[in-house]
Amino acid sequence: MNPNLNVDFVGIKFNNPVIVSSGTFGYGFELEDLIDICKLGGIITKTITLEPRHGNPQPRIAEVSSGIVNNIGLQNVGIVKFVEKYLKKIIKFDIPVIVSISGKNVCEYIKIIEILNKQDCISAVELNLSCPNLNESIICNDLDLVYNIITGIKQKTKIPLIAKLSPSYNILEIALIAQKAGVDGLTIANTYPAMVVNVDIYKKFNVMFGGLSGPSIKPISIRYVYDVYKKVDIPIIGCGGIMNGNDAIEFLASGSKLVSVGTACLISPNNLINIIEEIELILKKNKIKSINEIIGICNKK
Amino acid sequence: MPKAFDKNCEIISNDMINRNYFRLKVKTYSALNHCIPGQFFMIGIPDVFLRRPIGIYNVENDVLTFLYKLVGYGTKKLSTIKTGQLSLLGPLGNGYDLKKIENLKYVAVVGGVGIAPINFLANKLKNKGILYYGVRSKHDILDLNIFKKKNWEIIISTEDGSEGYKGYITDLLQYNFDSKHILISSGPNLMLNKILKIAVEKHISGFISFDVKMACGLGNCQGCAIRVKDEIKMVCKDGPVFKIDDISFNL
Ligand SMILES: Cc1cc2nc3c(=O)[nH]c(=O)nc-3n(C[C@H](O)[C@H](O)[C@H](O)COP(=O)(O)O)c2cc1C
Ligand code: FES
Repeated sequence: MNPNLNVDFVGIKFNNPVIVSSGTFGYGFELEDLIDICKLGGIITKTITLEPRHGNPQPRIAEVSSGIVNNIGLQNVGIVKFVEKYLKKIIKFDIPVIVSISGKNVCEYIKIIEILNKQDCISAVELNLSCPNLNESIICNDLDLVYNIITGIKQKTKIPLIAKLSPSYNILEIALIAQKAGVDGLTIANTYPAMVVNVDIYKKFNVMFGGLSGPSIKPISIRYVYDVYKKVDIPIIGCGGIMNGNDAIEFLASGSKLVSVGTACLISPNNLINIIEEIELILKKNKIKSINEIIGICNKK
Repeated sequence: MPKAFDKNCEIISNDMINRNYFRLKVKTYSALNHCIPGQFFMIGIPDVFLRRPIGIYNVENDVLTFLYKLVGYGTKKLSTIKTGQLSLLGPLGNGYDLKKIENLKYVAVVGGVGIAPINFLANKLKNKGILYYGVRSKHDILDLNIFKKKNWEIIISTEDGSEGYKGYITDLLQYNFDSKHILISSGPNLMLNKILKIAVEKHISGFISFDVKMACGLGNCQGCAIRVKDEIKMVCKDGPVFKIDDISFNL
């Protein structure tokens, strides 16, 4: 018998725990010719802001050992065009859609959520409180702001809210504040603030700032999931460097209910399907009947 | 538009052409004659994290040929792999609009490895054209048989003067070029910049192909963005070939 991969997350049913993370799958529908999107657990859209954004100038991507540094800067079409033009195309796959949003202040977040409130097809909203590539400082660095944004939005909506956190030394403190503010779930974690130096004296040792993702961050993000899982009551989406089924299971066993996959999908969208199949295989091999049996198992020892 | 596939393909050969260039042939399992010049594949290289975008040099039924220059870690690694399989994602991107070029007087202006897509284009075009081809030195001149066979006029420049005109290929365009021509260009950004300037001055229209770093090749990561007029475009998905009229800007 095939193992059961169904997971319940913030009251939503996911057919399997593998979802695409924000910013690495376009708006969510473009790849339908290449992979069977219906097979995914769910989709997190790229981060949408109130106004359209051009994003940052080049260079935007640097390859490093076992990962990439990106400096995209939330390029997107803005919430109005997103709802009018793209949302319809994503919901037809009939899998949960989580819309990632970002704002400069509480007021912007509320304006966005009021537009999303009118759409009944959205499963949840992910608050990107952790983009390292903006001129403004990272929202997670300001605990009061984290609290005010979440309580502010919570009053205005019934859509489940997920806070995407920065991988920072005080992540537990941020997670507890987010929980106190009423958030329904957490994503742990976004990319790590990083930089790359071009060692070329003629190019004046140009530096590129950005966020590090890929296999190089995996063990650190897993540790954050493990530490936070022990102390919070809300469910976690684990994220960071998942390339295969084994990586995904490491996150699940450390306390994530879902896993989100970014960089692996940039390398090949097929990786998403492979990860799901590999999880199934690993469970089968170990005679585990349901994915829920292993969630947080490392913490239960 | 041909559908893209993402699969492992068998290497037929991967040979050095000269000190900087390699030719890679792979066997796919269906005929790919629908590929359009200017399109590219993302090629996965063992032990290299990101795939590399490489333009199509030629297609004959189920045999795909690429021409690539050794530029960094990825292409150097690729050049050492002689047998086995490589993962290929493609054909990707928008190529040259053959219908808009076919019946006009076309001039191709090419720098270095930019010859790869233009070779494929010349293969598909019936008439002869004019090829301006700039390289560092005569050792870098690649096989121009297809152009010769089709009676193209060929003008070569080398930076060191070892063959043809000594200097940049763009120097020659100042004089020999007017709005009767349609321009097809591919090469390094510095060259494309100069060409754009000349094209705008002389009201010449045409197409240019960009070579930029890419992570996904699919429009997913937005890593390859360029500003086109007042919009942001993805080179991998909206390009790599763009209409000159659309891009009056500095790269
Ligand atoms: C090119 C790129 C773009 C990204 N864009 C976003 C974004 O718009 N919003 C967001 O919350 N995270 C964004 N991320 C972060 C990813 O969603 C993910 O959290 C991070 O890359 C770590 O996971 P990974 O190692 O599986 O990629 C982006 C990452 C990459 C590589
Ligand atoms: S390379 Fe990813 S969007 Fe173009």
